[in-house]
Amino acid sequence: MIEFKKVVKSYDNQIKVVNGLDFKINDGELVVLIGESGCGKTTTMKMINRLIEPTGGEILINGKNIMSINPIELRRNIGYVIQKVGLLPHMTVGDNIELVPYLQKWDKKKRRARAEELLDLVNLEPSQYIDRYPNELSGGQQQRVGVARALAVNPDIILMDEPFSAVDPLTRDQLQEELLKLQDEVKKTIVFVTHDMDEALKLGDRIAVMRDGKIIQYDTPENILKNPVDDFVEYFVGKDRLWKSPEMLFAKDIMNKKPIMILQDRTPANAVEIMKEKNVEYLLVVNQVGDRPKKLLGIVTPRELSGKGISQYKMKDIMRTQFTTVTEKTSMVHVLQTMKDKKIKNLPVVGEEDGYLKGLITHTSILNILTEAISVYDDDREGY
Amino acid sequence: MTFWEFFMDRLPDVMSQTLRHLQITGISVAFAIVVGIPLGIYITRNRHAAKYILGVANIFQTLPSLALFGLLIPLLGIGIRLAVFVLFLYALLPIIKNTYTGIIGVDSAILEAGKGMGMTSRQLLTMVEIPLALPIMMAGIRISTVINIGTATIAALIGAGGLGSFIFRGISIGNNNLILIGAIPAALLALFVDWLLGVLEYRITPKGIR
Repeated sequence: MIEFKKVVKSYDNQIKVVNGLDFKINDGELVVLIGESGCGKTTTMKMINRLIEPTGGEILINGKNIMSINPIELRRNIGYVIQKVGLLPHMTVGDNIELVPYLQKWDKKKRRARAEELLDLVNLEPSQYIDRYPNELSGGQQQRVGVARALAVNPDIILMDEPFSAVDPLTRDQLQEELLKLQDEVKKTIVFVTHDMDEALKLGDRIAVMRDGKIIQYDTPENILKNPVDDFVEYFVGKDRLWKSPEMLFAKDIMNKKPIMILQDRTPANAVEIMKEKNVEYLLVVNQVGDRPKKLLGIVTPRELSGKGISQYKMKDIMRTQFTTVTEKTSMVHVLQTMKDKKIKNLPVVGEEDGYLKGLITHTSILNILTEAISVYDDDREGY
Repeated sequence: MTFWEFFMDRLPDVMSQTLRHLQITGISVAFAIVVGIPLGIYITRNRHAAKYILGVANIFQTLPSLALFGLLIPLLGIGIRLAVFVLFLYALLPIIKNTYTGIIGVDSAILEAGKGMGMTSRQLLTMVEIPLALPIMMAGIRISTVINIGTATIAALIGAGGLGSFIFRGISIGNNNLILIGAIPAALLALFVDWLLGVLEYRITPKGIR
């Protein structure tokens, strides 16, 4: 367990970069420190392995004040992964991973075996990569080696300083997934610094939102999202997600979760009635109603209902079965492009794996999400 | 008598003076390495001292070599000792400067990673900073050596011998051939040593940063 007690870090006795931190990180927990640049998140993390030393308060690891531990010893028992990877360029991948074991005087055989084991763990084929140099690897591969290196002597604690911020979004996604899987296996206490809320929400067991050297809210991702403690957190969670990174918005965020549906056995007369009542011109034909998962079988618009002698048929006979869908994880950018390319106003969303109907994206649902994002401005109070 | 015959007549003499030339240069550069590299490393740890030490080394570099030889005769007398000492002073600056520049140029992210993994500052120096600075340090040694091969010709004036002795004798008796059998080997020697050190520089550069 890592415990911060009234920790302060100031420079020249004036500027307080970290101002009275009081929090605990439990064993096996992945805690994300998040905030804008200059909020003290990196300083907070670096105080744990004494790369930066606090000017006040104390930090305890398993009840022991870290100032009483030799910093070299302390650091060798805490894994450390940094943004720019920090692999030693003149050493091979194997030698990089073996570095801390080497410093700990493990024998050569044991070191090599450990390096191979770790490369396996981070999905790099040992025989292929162990003798390569870092500059022969892609950014994502380098960062995997960085993670492997941090795990070398099997430390209980791992510090990660914006480890995935320098790789492209696809690789970042993949590395995040791998980290989650890895964490499932190794169950380390991980302190993860980022400025990317999506990353924080995806990875964190708990998230500490920081501002001006203080923790504003320290909670589970769900609670941070649902019950932001103040405007700042709300702004940081909500607005940041939408405006700074529209590619982080997915179909599931912009769809109407309760689209208008009709059962496959209903008649055209039923369909017309529903369209009138709900004021829509687009019905999703499904196999069952209620809260149970439904299969989307087809769609019905006024065009399908306008043929002669149509009244004797059921929905399943007249519905259109050729239509475009997207999955919940399709990005908003892609959704808009699809609607534009296909010249459609309605786009059903289905589950990626199960194929069940999840919702419907319409112009209205997109407008709604945009309106929500700016609704902190209260028009009623304008002028007061 | 052609130049070639003239040269072949004096071949043993040329050979021994070439050796002497190499000796003066080699010893002076060796001393400069032994002093310059630790000094260069020291000033990366003490940036305040860097200003002064680089300043002093700079001054030696700007003094005309002839003047320096003259000024130091009273202290060290004439001969090889003085030559080696002056050339040593000349070789210092590129070596100190390149050691310093090479080490402070190491990416701070790499250093932080090393420190964060628990390397002591000595381990950081020997396992990270020096290996990464090695190509630049080596370039400094190369520059010093090549410059010194040129400057060492002047050392003949203070009785240290070397290829310069043919040149100065040739000038004083107006014999161009004599000048050339000093100048051509000196130039070839500089080119050859430069090439040799270039190969060495490549060989000692760690594979991952070539």
